[in-house]
Amino acid sequence: MDVNSKHELLKKYAIEMGTVKPNRKVYVVEPANVRRIFEELIEKYGYESFYLSTIVGTDLKEEGKIRLDYYLVLLPEEETVVIRTLLPRDNPVISSIVDIVPGALSGECETHDLLGVIFRGNPFLKRGFFVPSDIAEKGVYPLRKDSGV
Amino acid sequence: MSRAAGERRAEYKIVRYSPWIVHFNTGACNGCDIEVLASITPLYDPERFGVKLAPSIRHGDILVVTGAVTKKAAERLRILYDQMPCPKFVVAVGACAIDGGVFAGSYSVVGGADKVVPVAAYVPGCPPRPEAILDGIVKLLEIIERGEVKEHGCK
Repeated sequence: MDVNSKHELLKKYAIEMGTVKPNRKVYVVEPANVRRIFEELIEKYGYESFYLSTIVGTDLKEEGKIRLDYYLVLLPEEETVVIRTLLPRDNPVISSIVDIVPGALSGECETHDLLGVIFRGNPFLKRGFFVPSDIAEKGVYPLRKDSGV
Repeated sequence: MSRAAGERRAEYKIVRYSPWIVHFNTGACNGCDIEVLASITPLYDPERFGVKLAPSIRHGDILVVTGAVTKKAAERLRILYDQMPCPKFVVAVGACAIDGGVFAGSYSVVGGADKVVPVAAYVPGCPPRPEAILDGIVKLLEIIERGEVKEHGCK
């Protein structure tokens, strides 16, 4: 039940590992595996073994990718790890985790509104909640580098 | 003093004696909010000017706006302002509330508070000192006293 076994679980899915800063590990995983990781964490360690701090989306225009960082805090060790995944910029679709991790709601809705990432299975996605309605009506995603706003 | 100014002075009498303030953050980084909160503590003792925080916007005489006015907050700011009883005054606190500050021109920002509501006094600074905020409010009261205030938001 120690934190190392949780790291082992994440390592199993990692295609690349690194750190975002000292003592903060980042696991790069396939987009298709993100939901599976959360399912497995809940299955093995229970709902109270972690919380999702935030979801950060970044537009990597040169690489044609959108990067999603899930900031996860492992409990009770209070250790923050990052689950990173890269989506194709022209079709950014990933499975939602809002039904198993309700804390993902604001992160998913915000990333959808600002970057246009579609979280399949999230019934609450809509435009114009975080973004001003005049920008949302134009159909542009303001955090994309070529949005022109 | 002209007759009109004298009448206006009488009209503002209540505000002159105890201007209750309401603080509204329209998208500030919280720097100005901390200073506004500091300025209503006993250390700066705003009640010597009759200044205190109103329990509701509908009891407020002076609206203290902090932060760049975002497009979302602009609608709310207007709603709040419309709910205040007359006469009413707005004090824009900080560089952002004056003209948008470093956020001017952003896709989500309207600009300064004066784009949405009439502003009677501006307090510059990033953030302004609590003394400066109180000074701004007292200077506004002096302008009201002299009957020179233009933006009272009514009629």
